[in-house]
Amino acid sequence: MAGETGNSITDLMTRLQSNPHPVVVEFWAPWCAPCRAIEPALNRMGEEFSGKVDLWRINADEQPDVLRSLKVYGIPTMIMFQGGQEIARRAGAQSPGDILKFFQAAEAGEAPPARTLTLFDRLLRAGTGLAVLGLAYQGGFNGFYLLLALVGGAFLFSALYDRCPIWRALSTRVQSWLVGSEEN
Amino acid sequence: MKVNQANWERIARVVLGIVMLYVGFGGVVAGTLGTVIAVIGLIPLLTGLTGWCPIYTLLKTGTKKA
Repeated sequence: MAGETGNSITDLMTRLQSNPHPVVVEFWAPWCAPCRAIEPALNRMGEEFSGKVDLWRINADEQPDVLRSLKVYGIPTMIMFQGGQEIARRAGAQSPGDILKFFQAAEAGEAPPARTLTLFDRLLRAGTGLAVLGLAYQGGFNGFYLLLALVGGAFLFSALYDRCPIWRALSTRVQSWLVGSEEN
Repeated sequence: MKVNQANWERIARVVLGIVMLYVGFGGVVAGTLGTVIAVIGLIPLLTGLTGWCPIYTLLKTGTKKA
């Protein structure tokens, strides 16, 4: 069940230590569009895992000291706690699938699997993208080679897409729109 | 898609794919044959990039160690 926390970091940590279930604490704000986008999925998980994982929501505007103490530098941020100990955290908007994995990991009491690309994947994709772009450059970016350049650009972008704030904002909106379409 | 290729194989596939693209579209082999080589080159390129080979999945094998 979603719940509100107390007013200070000491109060929060005390409640976290004494809570019988793992807790997912979400930091949000009413003006934050990505927070609003993930809210339906988050609430659904809160209900689905009711009695196994607790969801607490903290308004970042009302409790800035708690954010500073926990070194939360952006919202939305989800932090998983067990027995007052931080197990894992996710910053930025998450897809419903990622939120589900986060709650499943919280239920199991372990950190969720790494979601980001490995350095090897990034280098492989970036190298391939540059090679394909080089091939397109050799062809003069004319006709078919322009298409090849787009493919190379896509490979290059795929090496860094998860670090791109525009991509994250857009994908969150699309996902929330898709979730909304499914629910209607 | 679960990765089922070892890193060395992924690199080899990507290099092979790029070489085939170069052969096909870079002017080494002209005409239809060149286009066919380049298009076929996309297969190792994409499977190497994703690390997932559908044939490995079907055969329940792979080069990636568990």
